[in-house]
Amino acid sequence: MSRRQLHEDVLKLLRERGARYADLRESTTTDESVKVRNGSVETLASGVDRAVGVRVLVGNGWGFAADSDTSEESLRATALRALDVAAASNIAARGTVTLSPVEPVTGRWSTSYDIDPFSVPIDKKLERLFDATEPLRSDDRIHQVSGEITSYRLEKVFASTEGSWIEQSSTEMGCGLEVIALDGDEFQKRSYPNSAGGDFQARGWEHVESLDLGTNGLRIRDEVLALLAAPKAPAGIFDLVVGSSQLSLQVHESCGHPTELDRALGWEISLAGGSFLQPDMLGHFRYGSPIVNLTADATIPGAIGSFGWDDEGVAGQRFHLVENGIFVNYLTGRDTAPTVGKVSNGTVRGEDASSLPIIRMTNISLEPGDASLDEILAGVTRGIFVETNKSWSIDDLRLNFQFGCELAYEIENGKLGRMLKNPLYTGSTPKFWGACDAIGDRSTWRVWGLPNCGKGDPMQTMRVAHGAAVARFRKVEMG
Amino acid sequence: MSEVKPNCSGAIDTVERALRVAEGDEADAVVFLSDGNLTRFASSSVHQNLSERSGSLTIRVVADGGKIGVASTSSLDDDGIRRAAELALELARRSEPAEGFAGLSRDLAPSPAVATLDEETAALDLSAKTRALKAVFDEGARVGVAFAGNFSTGVTTAAAGNSHGVRHEARTTSADALVIALGAKYSGYATRCSRRVAGVDLRSLGAEAIEKATLLAGTEETFPPGEYTVILEPAALAEAFEWMNMISLSGQAYEDGSSFFVGKLGEKLLGENVTLTDDALDRDFMPFPFDMEGLPKRRVALVDRGVLRTPALDTIAAARLGLVPTASAVSLESAEHGMAMHLAMAGGDATREEMIASTELGIWVTRFNYVNGLLDPKTALMTGMTRDGTFLIRDGRVAARLPNLRWTQSMVVALSNVDSLSRERRAIATWWNPIGATLAPTIRVRSWGITGVQG
Repeated sequence: MSRRQLHEDVLKLLRERGARYADLRESTTTDESVKVRNGSVETLASGVDRAVGVRVLVGNGWGFAADSDTSEESLRATALRALDVAAASNIAARGTVTLSPVEPVTGRWSTSYDIDPFSVPIDKKLERLFDATEPLRSDDRIHQVSGEITSYRLEKVFASTEGSWIEQSSTEMGCGLEVIALDGDEFQKRSYPNSAGGDFQARGWEHVESLDLGTNGLRIRDEVLALLAAPKAPAGIFDLVVGSSQLSLQVHESCGHPTELDRALGWEISLAGGSFLQPDMLGHFRYGSPIVNLTADATIPGAIGSFGWDDEGVAGQRFHLVENGIFVNYLTGRDTAPTVGKVSNGTVRGEDASSLPIIRMTNISLEPGDASLDEILAGVTRGIFVETNKSWSIDDLRLNFQFGCELAYEIENGKLGRMLKNPLYTGSTPKFWGACDAIGDRSTWRVWGLPNCGKGDPMQTMRVAHGAAVARFRKVEMG
Repeated sequence: MSEVKPNCSGAIDTVERALRVAEGDEADAVVFLSDGNLTRFASSSVHQNLSERSGSLTIRVVADGGKIGVASTSSLDDDGIRRAAELALELARRSEPAEGFAGLSRDLAPSPAVATLDEETAALDLSAKTRALKAVFDEGARVGVAFAGNFSTGVTTAAAGNSHGVRHEARTTSADALVIALGAKYSGYATRCSRRVAGVDLRSLGAEAIEKATLLAGTEETFPPGEYTVILEPAALAEAFEWMNMISLSGQAYEDGSSFFVGKLGEKLLGENVTLTDDALDRDFMPFPFDMEGLPKRRVALVDRGVLRTPALDTIAAARLGLVPTASAVSLESAEHGMAMHLAMAGGDATREEMIASTELGIWVTRFNYVNGLLDPKTALMTGMTRDGTFLIRDGRVAARLPNLRWTQSMVVALSNVDSLSRERRAIATWWNPIGATLAPTIRVRSWGITGVQG
């Protein structure tokens, strides 16, 4: 029996045993981490994880079961276990589960790359990292220099009782450098191209080749040494210019998460909380200034939040979450979209087949504006420029936030001035985005890959991305 | 075919099979087999219900005089194990000798005998769990609150061994419940974890959450940012400690220079009443007998009456730093180089009610939300919000509810300003930690920095 025939057989059995709906997924995740630290190999690790997962709806109760044993026997047993779990859920389920419609689809989708990350020899990856990091250790105050290259591939199959059968494959490459400097009790860190492991793209080795690690490594070494002696960023009210990578995390925390409909419905309260964006605000709530346009787009080539179909068989798509400053849409799934009178816009994914699929961000982006960086800075008499995230925190409704950055500069009369260390800024989401009066053009806009978005219970990490430009915000609280 | 039996047996056999096929100078292996159920609920309705069985093998091979490669797999059949061992060897041969690595452990003392399994928890029926939850939902409906949260139980067998004859296996159970009561405007919270499901009384947690959600409803006050005395319950403290584990206590934080322990070992930097341990032997906590490198667990004082003693270290970090390993290896990949998987703060002799009664002006905090400890790691400067029950204390009485507050605070300073600790401590689950948790009392801290308000 072919694997597809087996899937159809298992789904048919679940139908016969009383399932209103069922889907199953299989996945194989392959990853590799190559990390160097202070001239030595720190980590050479590789893993292969396989899983099957089955989701069943009985009455109004959902059940999900998964197993790392992917044999036929295990798949059949897992399916029946999911059926039992759904029946148990039905004991304490309230309300009616309605699934928004989706046309059955048979299809294949994959990311593309020029050079397969897993085809590049380990020796070459180590050489590239040592070449980039060794020149950075030339000052006694440099305490630690590290670099990491990660390769990732997720291959998965989805099948449903409604007749869909979908195969997808995502290949990704991540790379980053980090330099730590110490001077007495002063500790500073700089990262390139982004903090938290670097930047991740659904591309191949060509992503690493494009980063110019040598030149940028030297730049962040110089910056981290300068930060040791830099004055602390001041507290007070300032005009704030936020760099692209930092703004991508601002988008993630203050737009991506609060527009997840499961949060708005209270389904995630037990972990990270709810959302200030409630369904009665759809279509008229002013989220930001009229120049603020935020989109969800699962079709961006090379972005790690892209896919062909989500884990409910709904096609990946592009739509506005915030249009001309107005909150216009949620990220939805098949069982949540009907609660706000909509159909699923295809954002339900699980980390792999062992994880229950839930609403996740795709590529959530601040659309570019029309200003150059110089024009944005020229509009500031006295302000602060911040870049590269260091710390992040936001309340359980996604309103009150505080971000710290690795680096800041004074802005005086439209020009960047002194370097400043340890900048913090804080605010309330709609007020902050309402104070946005300039957004950078395409030349300042890029998509940043974030492979570790945490959500759900048990915690799942999801691969998402955010396009962001440099942008200016008036009268922001610093410190 | 790989197989995880519902009773999670066969972990040590899998370690043996892995070590038999591993080539190179030395090797060690860790196997986890787990069978668990997690039920999530919102609006007093079960909306997610999961049953997961999983198995994983991680194998570390040392070749050519100290070169290390690590591979992992979820395929525990002979072919999957062989492939992982071959991959680990290939990675090792392409590596460079690991700095400071002195070889895998040998001639270790036996692991301590600790009770890790509760048969009632292992045998728990899913329908019985759901009915127990429904009873709590019904109680909430009677007083006008809805519940959200989760309730999980499971069995995990962990095994570790190496090519020098070290062998350990432990079959453990765990139960963890988190309950949020949601009233018309306010919420309350209660949580607890244990090796025994009997130690996680859902009705009691539900009642505790209801009390927090309904206490002084309609009496909200606010006040300006500033420094205030705070009473932090165990769940709040545990979230701050989770970050301290990463930025202050881990071997990685010590090695990269970001920990406030660096250069201060032996110095009294925190208050006399602050003792932090990595304690996997406390039978009332989450006992576990060995770390992932196979070292027998012992009670390790990380901070002893305010004096910084040691970070949590695996063998590689300990060798590089010239310190003693603390049996705190979380994995064979060594990313953290040691974490306190059983982080416990010693209690005092007070009760929460006594702390409230002796506080002139202060804030009583149930829990924190979204803490981040990366603001300034050298001082363990953190920020976060309060949630699910924040109260104003005035003249020794709980006077009003407060909105959720943002705080920004150095934990080095805070742990020097603790003036009261409760006798009672509570185990709080940590999401990244399959074998341990955090054990914390309620504490009162002077001069805690409140820096903002939700909204």
